[in-house]
Amino acid sequence: MKEVMMGTEAAARAAKLARVQVVSAYPITPQTVIVENLADIIGRGELNANYMPVESEHSALASCIGASMAGARAFTATSSHGLVYMHEMLHYAAGARVPVVMVNCNRALGPPWNLYCDHTDSLSQRDTGWIQYYCADAQDVLDAILIAYGVAEQALLPVMINVDAFYLTHTSEVLDVPDQAKVDTFLPPYQPPSKLDVDDPKTFGNVCGADLFTSIKYKRHCDTLALEKLWDRTAAEFYGHFNRMHPTVETYRTDDADMCIVGIGTGTGAMRLAVDALREEGLKIGCLRLSMIRPFPLERFKRATANAKQVIVIDRDVSFGAEGIVAQEVKAGLFEHHADVTLTGFIAGVGGNDLSVEAIVPLVRQAISGDGNAVEAGATFWTGVLP
Amino acid sequence: MQPKKVIQRLSDLPTMPSTIGTMVWNETGDWRYLTPLIRTKLAPCSQACPAGIPIPGYLSALKKGDVQRGLTLLLSHNPLPGLTGRLCYHPCQAKCVRRKMDRAVSVRDIERFLADVGTEAEIEKSETSDKRVVVIGSGPLGLSCAFHLGCRGCQVVVLDPSNQAGGALLEVPSEKVEPQVLANEINRLILLADIRLETGAVIDFEAPGEPLSKADLIILDPTGLPENFAVPAGAAAFNPSEDETVTGDIIFVTLPKSLKPFRAPMIAHYIAVGRLTAEKALDRLVACSEEQGSTQSNPDLPRQAVNAEDIKIERFSASDLSTQPEAKQAGTWDRERASQEAERCLSCGTCNLCLQCVSFCPDASIGLDEQETAVVVDLDHCKGCGICAYECPRGVITMEETIP
Repeated sequence: MKEVMMGTEAAARAAKLARVQVVSAYPITPQTVIVENLADIIGRGELNANYMPVESEHSALASCIGASMAGARAFTATSSHGLVYMHEMLHYAAGARVPVVMVNCNRALGPPWNLYCDHTDSLSQRDTGWIQYYCADAQDVLDAILIAYGVAEQALLPVMINVDAFYLTHTSEVLDVPDQAKVDTFLPPYQPPSKLDVDDPKTFGNVCGADLFTSIKYKRHCDTLALEKLWDRTAAEFYGHFNRMHPTVETYRTDDADMCIVGIGTGTGAMRLAVDALREEGLKIGCLRLSMIRPFPLERFKRATANAKQVIVIDRDVSFGAEGIVAQEVKAGLFEHHADVTLTGFIAGVGGNDLSVEAIVPLVRQAISGDGNAVEAGATFWTGVLP
Repeated sequence: MQPKKVIQRLSDLPTMPSTIGTMVWNETGDWRYLTPLIRTKLAPCSQACPAGIPIPGYLSALKKGDVQRGLTLLLSHNPLPGLTGRLCYHPCQAKCVRRKMDRAVSVRDIERFLADVGTEAEIEKSETSDKRVVVIGSGPLGLSCAFHLGCRGCQVVVLDPSNQAGGALLEVPSEKVEPQVLANEINRLILLADIRLETGAVIDFEAPGEPLSKADLIILDPTGLPENFAVPAGAAAFNPSEDETVTGDIIFVTLPKSLKPFRAPMIAHYIAVGRLTAEKALDRLVACSEEQGSTQSNPDLPRQAVNAEDIKIERFSASDLSTQPEAKQAGTWDRERASQEAERCLSCGTCNLCLQCVSFCPDASIGLDEQETAVVVDLDHCKGCGICAYECPRGVITMEETIP
């Protein structure tokens, strides 16, 4: 059924369709609509779930971890400072192998205070062991949450679905909302292989000596690597039910391209339009959206960049003292198979600056010619900086 | 301990890091800075009671349906509950924390119920000693004093020159206390404490016969003797509230101004002074025979007070009875009504095994003891987080700095 809704509403609807059993969250702009919507949905009796209001994001995730360990399908949502406040529990969730799904609304980190879109919040949590998916549009939000539960519960790993602040959270789109019955077929109830059970007592998170520690971490690393293919399989199954694709890497006009723009999130929409405009001028350019950052979707990335001679990465984030975090990821990915490729990294659109076609085309020109307004700083070029 | 399973291959590892072993070996108790101390504390009602009766203690017994135990606990501090249950002004009720929720627990009516229902009460007595005490006068002070001395093993004789026991109590109008009630109360008291009571006794200090001549100590009761009673020349005045030690072989107890003349509603004060006299008299008697050990009659009496603010009334729900106005009905309550009323007691400062602490302890370091009569902390593992103290609705658990 077609419905008009914002990305936040789509996230709440997805949680409902996934029949989550525990929701524990703390409100924060721009995520608040998600938890308010879910509170309404549960309050109206449309979803049989335990809604736990908590005093902090740390407790929100902690209670989701507990709920998941007890065998419940748990959901939380946060943003920015809320996400980084969860930091300790992010590591715990992945280490405990609980299939919690979380929506993070990508918002800038203060100070200075800023409510708008920026990817530093989630990318700075890159190494916590969570699967990270970045949405392109509101339909992607709804669908990815459903796929995420399927993937998380098979792999026993937590998944973070990232949603650009305001571009997605507060923008209304027409969505195709799947039928509950079809979702139930795609996503059966969670059957934990092991859980907190007084009749079968175990110690979870026990102290572990050096003898087994390495093996446990190695196993988790392998399981996380395998998730790229697991996502592909689950997304293919989703496509079978709902006829919509949600790949780990989305390519646009890359087949014959020797130049490729790379980005994550909603900014890639403008990148595609920029590709169209530059193709008019005869440039053999394509665009690539990394929807998955962890695990890094190396196989699909290799194929998409096989012919590229020049790669342009636009980061809505920065690792201070280094460069854009996506640029680092792309560099590492290219190093695997490319000897002769140039990479130009731009920091653009942080703190809510729009990534429009008009903003992106000049960056490509600067990458080609070396001339432009973006200011060089170490390995990066910054746009929108005061003279 | 033999491991139940040996992990040799990667595939043996569980996906979720978990073991069938426990963490008992990890004695985290030495991380602790603050220690939860579980101690019965003096409730606001008991603090207000002149006789210091451990009210939540005997109400807890009643809640469990153990009327006999409730009466025993009550009698151990108050040997005349049938009289206090009719006469006392009950300052305990004025301080009842339950007033913050609805209305005070009617301690008066419960006391009266216990007194009237229980004729087969028992009191644990210390061993018999060879100390002989004569109490002259059988007013509330003298009876209380005699009772406590009797319970501690002294051979006590109460002599009353009057033909009827009761002293000042005999002047209480019969519509307040029926003569039969007074007689029953005194009978129970002397039976329990194994006291000999002689009324119409001839008291001659010049030519004392038995038991006066053989007494180690003679105590004169101001609430049991007429104003014009001739105090013997060798008697020393003794004010138990002020004087630390008993000197001499004959003492006549003097009362503070606030307790003179005798007023029936103040009966608990006289009972209290009688008990204090007994305690201090025992100190002297025991010192004479150079006995060792504590002379405090109740070493387990809770001394630390719990404040009304320590009681988390938001954790309690109002009972069905709360909506009823305070009963002013005449007569003695029946068992059901008294038990219902006892249920309303919040047990301030007294553990009633609600086990909130056990539920909330994140380290499973607090639980019932082997007899399942008390909650104990596993100090080998308790990290001193304080959640138990926070969760205890009754102020029984407090976190205190302890030096190992």
